[in-house]
Amino acid sequence: MLGSLLKFSLGRIVLSIPLLLSVIVITFLLIHAAPGDPAVLLAGDAPAPEFLAQIRYAYNLDKPVWQQLLIYIIKAAQLDFGSSIYFKRPVIDVIVERLPATLLLSGTAMVLASVLGVALGAWAAQRKGSGTDSIVSGASLLGYSIPTFWLGQLLVLLFAVYLPLLPASGMTEVRLRYTGFAHFVDVARHLILPACTLAVFELALIARFTRTAMIDALGRDYIVVAFAKGGRKRHVVWRHAFPNAVIVSITIIGLEFGALLAGAVVTETVFSWPGIGRLFYDAVFRRDFTLLSGLFIFASLAVILVNLVTDILCSLLDPRIVR
Amino acid sequence: MSLAVTSNRYGRFFDRARGAVASNRSLLFGTLIVGTMVLVGLLGPLLWSGDPLALGSGRFLPPSLTYPMGTDDLGRDVFARVILGARISLVVGGLSAIISIVVGCAVGATAGYFGGLLDEIVMRVVEIFQIIPRFLFAIVIVALFGTGLVKIVLVIGLLSWPPVARIVRAQFMVLRSEEFVLAAKMSGASTVRIIVRHILPNVGPIILVSAFLQMSSAILVESFLSFLGLGDPAAPSWGLLLQQAQLYLRSAWWMTVFPGLALFLTIFGLNLFGDGLNSGESAERGV
Repeated sequence: MLGSLLKFSLGRIVLSIPLLLSVIVITFLLIHAAPGDPAVLLAGDAPAPEFLAQIRYAYNLDKPVWQQLLIYIIKAAQLDFGSSIYFKRPVIDVIVERLPATLLLSGTAMVLASVLGVALGAWAAQRKGSGTDSIVSGASLLGYSIPTFWLGQLLVLLFAVYLPLLPASGMTEVRLRYTGFAHFVDVARHLILPACTLAVFELALIARFTRTAMIDALGRDYIVVAFAKGGRKRHVVWRHAFPNAVIVSITIIGLEFGALLAGAVVTETVFSWPGIGRLFYDAVFRRDFTLLSGLFIFASLAVILVNLVTDILCSLLDPRIVR
Repeated sequence: MSLAVTSNRYGRFFDRARGAVASNRSLLFGTLIVGTMVLVGLLGPLLWSGDPLALGSGRFLPPSLTYPMGTDDLGRDVFARVILGARISLVVGGLSAIISIVVGCAVGATAGYFGGLLDEIVMRVVEIFQIIPRFLFAIVIVALFGTGLVKIVLVIGLLSWPPVARIVRAQFMVLRSEEFVLAAKMSGASTVRIIVRHILPNVGPIILVSAFLQMSSAILVESFLSFLGLGDPAAPSWGLLLQQAQLYLRSAWWMTVFPGLALFLTIFGLNLFGDGLNSGESAERGV
């Protein structure tokens, strides 16, 4: 059992290497296919000729394209994305510096969405066709139709402008410089609105898929058997149906992780949250293409890793997947 | 890793009847909302005499009879701009959806019908496209290649076909060995004819459902891009209006509430419509 699981996990890891490689190659090709000289793109607006030559040398732009590609891949594999044009520091350092804020925001949103989404979906599925079920289904359709950034703006209007309860932007009160427990409370207060904003889309999606999966699981033969053998309803629902349904929920969380990152970009933009998403937005406007391409590869890597983890998690829950 | 979301197996008559009514209700409301938006988009300036571009008499005027949705930071009529936005968002959404459906059908049909090595290669490509964060990819492309309505339509359309290809492929794999295909083959129909005239019509309903979902997601992605300032600056879509509103959130709530409501209702209507068409049927979906 453990052996086959290990083999399965290793197999998944090996399979994700070509995916990552393609992302790196696509990014490289995009930068080279973009109109204009890549050296000018990388050097920023109106560079001095000496600086251009320096950039050409530093980024190996004087070498044949296939050599450049090879160098790019080898460097990217070591998380070396070059130096940010704006920050004048290695891209990976800038990313790592901003990572905790995004992990805090998207982690909170993810936990909120997963727990509530699975609970609501499973709860509605047991009352299929009832009023509560219709309300949950309707609400989740509303939830995933609402554009994340508009929701953020509405929440700011409601809870920061008209009812001045919560801060509208940033991660801390810059002027006050809290420490210790006061700092924790300060960050938590700033976190509430963006985390809720980011969570709604995922929550709605997870609730929908969990509901469908749970209804499907409850209709299976093994449920009939479990009941026929005298199983209590609670036991049958949570021990027999739920584990099968939750696999779908976990898969969805992995598949939609890219959408969560997209949500993080706009949410961090609305709330000036100092994370990766905001960095992405700023990189576009500062025309910082080394940072932008580094961020893109990094984000793709994160998506691949999350899918790897959810795949392995699913195989732990359902040994049939491993085979 | 496949994610099959199948409908329930309680095939009881009562449940079915209830499901049909519920689906009709979704269809009904979906049609009403989408129909209204399409009308607004089509009629546009005929509905309201306000000029979306004219700099009016006052800045930041709250909603009134003259300006039902107020005026913006340059004194422009927000109502007129929301009406113009309908046209832009729907055209971008519609054209992107058409591109993704056409490409997805072509790719999916070829892979599903022929199978083998070709299918293997196509599915690897689809996998790559599905793992890449689509929206971030769109940002990178637009940032590198510049913006414009045509480019945005192309980018969204060409990044959105994989879910369609997956669905169409799955259907073709089942249908290619059906008897009617065999009959068509025996009567000497060409491969193209079999794919286009015999198999594709059977996949029609599923394609229709995904077309509406594609359109809603295309409108959403366009609004995300415009909100980040990557939209076509010459075409004030709802996302662009919301980007402008962000700066004046504290002083002019109407600049946020009304364009956002139009965007939200359109996406909601499309999803409702797709859902209504879909309900009762099992479907594999790439939302």
